[in-house]
Amino acid sequence: MDHKKIILDENEIPKKWYNVNADLPSMIDPPLHPGTKEPITPDDLKAIFPMELIKQEASTDKYVKIPEEIMDIYKIWRPSPLIRADRLEKALKTPAKIYYKWEGVSPAGSHKPNTAIPQAYYNMKEGVERIATETGAGQWGSAISFGTAFFDMECTVYMVRASYDQKPYRKSLMQAWGAECIPSPSTRTEAGKKILKMHPNTGGSLGAAISEAVEDAAKHDNTNYSLGSVLNHVCLHQTIIGLETIEQFKKIDTYPDTVIGCVGGGSNFAGMAFPFARDKLDGSHPDVDIIGAEPMACPTLTKGLYEYDYGDAVGLVPILKMFTLGHDFMPPSIHAGGLRYHGDSPLVCKLVHDGFIRAVAYHQTEVLKSALLFGRTEGHIIAPESSHALHCAIQEALKCKETGEEKTIVFNNSGHGNFDLAAYDAYFDGSLVDYEYPEELIKQSLKQLPMKNI
Amino acid sequence: MKIGVILNPIAGMGGAVGLKGTDGDALERAIEMGASPRSPARIRNTFLRFFGKDIPSFSIFSCSGRMGGDILKEMGIPYTEIYVQDGSTSAQDTKQACISLLSENVDLILFCGGDGTARDIYSIVGDRIPMLGIPAGVKMYSSVFSISPNAAADVLASFLRGDCSLREAEIMDIDEDKYRVGILDRKLFGQATTPFLPNQVQAAKCAYFSESEQKSKESIARFASEFMGDGSIYILGVGSTTKAIADLIGIEKTLLGIDIVHNGALLKADANEGDIVSLLEGGARIKIIVSPLGAQGFIFGRGNHQISPKVLNRVGRDNIIVVGTPQKLQNTPNLFVDTGDSELDSVLAGHLSVVCGYRLAARKSVLTC
Repeated sequence: MDHKKIILDENEIPKKWYNVNADLPSMIDPPLHPGTKEPITPDDLKAIFPMELIKQEASTDKYVKIPEEIMDIYKIWRPSPLIRADRLEKALKTPAKIYYKWEGVSPAGSHKPNTAIPQAYYNMKEGVERIATETGAGQWGSAISFGTAFFDMECTVYMVRASYDQKPYRKSLMQAWGAECIPSPSTRTEAGKKILKMHPNTGGSLGAAISEAVEDAAKHDNTNYSLGSVLNHVCLHQTIIGLETIEQFKKIDTYPDTVIGCVGGGSNFAGMAFPFARDKLDGSHPDVDIIGAEPMACPTLTKGLYEYDYGDAVGLVPILKMFTLGHDFMPPSIHAGGLRYHGDSPLVCKLVHDGFIRAVAYHQTEVLKSALLFGRTEGHIIAPESSHALHCAIQEALKCKETGEEKTIVFNNSGHGNFDLAAYDAYFDGSLVDYEYPEELIKQSLKQLPMKNI
Repeated sequence: MKIGVILNPIAGMGGAVGLKGTDGDALERAIEMGASPRSPARIRNTFLRFFGKDIPSFSIFSCSGRMGGDILKEMGIPYTEIYVQDGSTSAQDTKQACISLLSENVDLILFCGGDGTARDIYSIVGDRIPMLGIPAGVKMYSSVFSISPNAAADVLASFLRGDCSLREAEIMDIDEDKYRVGILDRKLFGQATTPFLPNQVQAAKCAYFSESEQKSKESIARFASEFMGDGSIYILGVGSTTKAIADLIGIEKTLLGIDIVHNGALLKADANEGDIVSLLEGGARIKIIVSPLGAQGFIFGRGNHQISPKVLNRVGRDNIIVVGTPQKLQNTPNLFVDTGDSELDSVLAGHLSVVCGYRLAARKSVLTC
């Protein structure tokens, strides 16, 4: 083995993000307005998003230039290393070569700042002084707090009450970057007050926190709303991951056979997968196998239906064409909190639906077992979300052991697990529950229900 | 807070000498065979751990002599005597002590014994106040027992601090006389309440799952009411989770029995094996909904003998739907089957998807005994 790490120079960071929307063989179905059910117009989004992000959302330009101001901040942790997991390979006794793109090096500890920085930047450029957003487990809240800090913006994060109480260090991180972190539901908004009146002791929900953040943004002229995954512009910003990876593989004259990421809302997966999907779509690497790994507890891509559904639990945000388990599906509380979303990025879904990307689903116990193997061979204790991608890479490497193939496998290792040690504790004491989606019973029940028109 | 303490001094004595319990005249035989008391040591362990903890003030109410007083005095633990027991103890002593504890308005009864003791206490207190068992008996099928004397101390301390919740727990027992001659006849006597200490690690990450057990049952019931509209005949097994389903579809559930439901209407209440078999012989499409029973999480073979091997073989594994709240599933790492038909048991064993919420299931291992 030549190198453990493949590292780009700062001036080799790709200068543009890649927009897969430009290369799709057929048009993506447009998002619909939740009120009118008509395709959304830029005007519909103006109240809560800056114009530049709205343009990116609908853009079919193949590349979007990364502004210098963003690049300067990216350089704090980018380019991120591509690392050969040779000790893991040895432990598995596989002829496959396993690489991981390590996004845990960012200040917030995950890939999320790749979009938090541009989102804060474009808002700042258009005179927005403050961002309101929600966070479930705290990853996105931390990243956007970090992002806004660099542009002297204010930031208010509505954090699901139960997480706020149970994960005090995420809140501390946000405060350290100057953001205000409020447990949701709060008395700050009408939505919050209404919920508190009905359920004074509620632990909150992501749906409630979204309602509060959107209301906050709509009420304050100086404030915009910001979302950390799912949307096209978020996936666009994340493509820096895959673009760097391709450059890193060029350094060792390699192109991977298998590309893997974990899928929740889809942005870190898109970030890794879309640049490789580009090469598959244009025929330059038609055989690259691109795999999204998701939890069995919330198996959107593997068991969901491809249809229009609300993007949030309460029907406030646009209706999107995607694989969905239904907007009223409440995913169980697995440790990979970042993968608990009933739908997925419409771009990711389109590529899965059209057969360019495939998806697999795993139980959390087997995933944590793989994470421990990784920690004990490669050293990093990684996030339960990222461990789904790792577990998939291990399964693929084990297949190579059977066939004798020397495939090159790369997975996006999207974040460290330093705030997720409770997941490891649960594994140690045997209390992890392997949640599943009872597909047959759900099909049986849906047959009985009148079709819910959106 | 007021805690009632009852010690069954003879619980567990039969186990070591192979007598499978100390009900009836088995105790004398156990003593003849050299059995010695084991429950005093068990409750001592609980108290040793408990009094090392930071706990709010409370008072203890207990019985004289071997039913609590001796060990409390020996350990220097102050208590108020509410029942004087003289000579050899019997089920009647346990019941009388419970009546006295109820009149003192105790908040919880901590007892040390086995299924028989649990049953005697339940027969007086029902689900009016929670009970918590320190395991000391031979038979331990009821769900009111902690997994160990130390665990009982932790749950009790948590109860006193007010940071644990209550859950329903089945009181189960077998007929010892029949058991000794090889007949396993297990019965579900009722639903008590017991303090429940959710696993702290898991709870710390459960940002979205803070609902109560009752809410979980309602979620399961909502899902069941949707998929039960498929035209099949449904056998609703024993327990409060299946009762929640019945409540939602508007039929009266036999709590300790099984009921047959079709298209939202009750076909037969408190059905027996024959009722189900005759439906099957008539060609009916039947599905079975059961929930795990008892401390070990039995899905068949404990408390629901009406759903016999004959029934199960004809209905088939694919038509069995197991439901259970996450709170309950957390306490039962594996589920068990013990139908009496080992071939059938091995067919039922393996991984099973247990419905534990609205459109939600958990994968559990099903083991044979």
